[in-house]
Amino acid sequence: MEPVYLDYAATTPVRAEVREAMLPFLGETFGNASSVHRWGRDAKLKLEEARGKIASLLGARPMEIVFTRGGTEADNLAVLGRSREMRGGGVVCSAIEHRAVLMAAKAAEAEGAPLHLLPVDADGVVDQEALTDVLSPSLAVVSVMWANNEVGTIQPIGSLAQRCVEAGVVFHSDAVQAFGKLDVRMDETPVDLLSMSAHKIGGPKGTGALFVRKGTRLAPLIHGGGHERGLRAGTEDVAGAVGFSVAAELAMRERKAQCSRLTVLRDRLQAALVERVPDLVVNAAGAERLPTILNVSVPGANSEMLLVMLDLEGIAVSSGSACSSGGVNPSHVLTTMGLSADIAGPSVRFSLGRETTEGQIDAVIAAFPPLMERLRSTSGV
Amino acid sequence: MQEKRTVLVAMSGGVDSSVAAALLVEQGHRVIGVTMKTFCYSEVEGPSQTCCGLDGIMDARSVADRLGIPHYVFDVERDFTRDVIDDFVSEYAAGRTPNPCVRCNGNTKFRDLLKRGEMLGCDAIATGHYARMGVGEAGDPVLRRGIDREKDQAYFLWGLPPELLPKLLFPLGALTKPEVRERARALGLRTADKPESQEICFVPTGNYVDVLEDRLGADHPSLAPGPLVSSTGETIGEHEGYARYTIGQRRGIGGGHGRRLYVIGARPETREVIVGDFDEIFRDELEVGELNWFGQPPREGDEVELQIRHRAVAAPAHVLAGDGDSIRFRFEEPQRAVAPGQSAVVFRGDSVLGGGRIARND
Repeated sequence: MEPVYLDYAATTPVRAEVREAMLPFLGETFGNASSVHRWGRDAKLKLEEARGKIASLLGARPMEIVFTRGGTEADNLAVLGRSREMRGGGVVCSAIEHRAVLMAAKAAEAEGAPLHLLPVDADGVVDQEALTDVLSPSLAVVSVMWANNEVGTIQPIGSLAQRCVEAGVVFHSDAVQAFGKLDVRMDETPVDLLSMSAHKIGGPKGTGALFVRKGTRLAPLIHGGGHERGLRAGTEDVAGAVGFSVAAELAMRERKAQCSRLTVLRDRLQAALVERVPDLVVNAAGAERLPTILNVSVPGANSEMLLVMLDLEGIAVSSGSACSSGGVNPSHVLTTMGLSADIAGPSVRFSLGRETTEGQIDAVIAAFPPLMERLRSTSGV
Repeated sequence: MQEKRTVLVAMSGGVDSSVAAALLVEQGHRVIGVTMKTFCYSEVEGPSQTCCGLDGIMDARSVADRLGIPHYVFDVERDFTRDVIDDFVSEYAAGRTPNPCVRCNGNTKFRDLLKRGEMLGCDAIATGHYARMGVGEAGDPVLRRGIDREKDQAYFLWGLPPELLPKLLFPLGALTKPEVRERARALGLRTADKPESQEICFVPTGNYVDVLEDRLGADHPSLAPGPLVSSTGETIGEHEGYARYTIGQRRGIGGGHGRRLYVIGARPETREVIVGDFDEIFRDELEVGELNWFGQPPREGDEVELQIRHRAVAAPAHVLAGDGDSIRFRFEEPQRAVAPGQSAVVFRGDSVLGGGRIARND
């Protein structure tokens, strides 16, 4: 079969419009945005235009947007930056956060900050009462992702953020998967810090941003020339910022149409696989999910060989499982949701995107079931 | 023209397996390259010199990319540690001399390739070994020596699961090493002039005692001094730890004994290393256990050729007695350094019938 890319949650192709918009900054408009002269002013103008676009898409003020080198850096700045600002103030995050948040939280813990992980239910939804139980003014930050990158579960962000507001605690959300796909508005939701990434929505890799609500204090992680209001030193990547802003604009403009189109395709894929692959488990099936993600488990299939086999057959997907010394560790997201290792291990994440077609989904529906049958029949010990 | 097959080829990153993969591609097969990660590279200090190091993975990936074939890394570290490294250490601790590459081929590498090949729908498994597959009288597949006798690696392959033989391909079996290097250069492979890897892959320093000291502790009885005893039973000195010696070895015994002495055995229970004269390292009988046969096992009285070391010549021998668990051979001529723990590989002509581990040499 023609190779099919269904790993848009990992990354997306740079859109032609984005590439086009970035090119001048890899050419004649090369100035340093901090310079006084006309080259610098030109660059600064475009940088601030990009900032303004992203701010308006979010319902935020331009000064509330801090460009970073990607989503991971934004998460680190939010979590570790808050903890350091509060001199070791406590960190609370969900147990199914992306490693960018979890590891930043662990780093804060290593610096002396108390860390508390919030449990989730079988669909990956954060337990709101568990949050209420641990809220206290001594907390530096509560961090819950807007939508999960592995299973797609959308969290009750408005309600979680509201609880934090009432307790006077700063709330951060990793919206790397949600931004550009869901209605992420900072003028409607009392989120204080929000992480975004360009390459998940057709923008360039290595560019992201952190929304920092006015008045929210953060300790910078990168020190230097005072760029980005002192929160992220280093000469600004104007090309990246411009590319990000164009990608975000396009994503927001097309968001509703794409979401309904991809929901149909995703649901069709899900229904067909449930019907044709015996004992297939749809993970987070009961949750409100991103329209672009379908995570399934195929019990009895060798988890280490699952992605290799699918790649050989032309289906590019991911699994949350991580290879480590001596074997495969099941995804922490799935195990936290209560799945046993034999179900969490052989999991596959299909993630759809703008370039996904109906024909591709039908090709996967035809190819996947017999492959799983073969893998199961040869996986026995 | 051969039939087109889907072939899983093990690529270490070295020149041999790189050319093996290239030849399979040339022959029109659908080729899938894999590198087996056998041990934890982070535990090894400095750049890895051997074929299976992290550099090996990058080299294999680069060759695969050049050949336009997919490449994957299979993590077999847990199995490799259990079946190969642990065995290696416990054999030395028991006063024997193991063949880790034989263990790896028989217990880890080929079994794993077979299993994963089945999952991926492959109908053949290939490696860069210098060995050949032939056809026996009954049309059965036969494992044979490689054409290049200098490089022949059939000795290391006696432990392969017999059911694997119909699926095996050794693309280098009919080539010599210089021809393989020439092919590699012609193909522009970056591994063409990579040096030979002689060491054991998990012994990065080239000295196996480092691994024993690391795993057992430097004060383990097998590494601690003990009595050096003559074959007639007198204590004539001290040795540095019996695991540091191999049968036939002269080095490290020390001088002042009035004659040249050779290691002829060890007794782990008393930590003794036994030494004797040159003629005492020759033996004409041996018992072999942990047997593996590709066809019918040889029977009492059968004439075979027996190879007891990688570099040794296969010497005429016949079967004295045997059952399913062990078999006793007698050489026509006494052989030098018949070391328990080493592989005894049974040949008829250049065909491998099977083999086992030397259990006793008396």
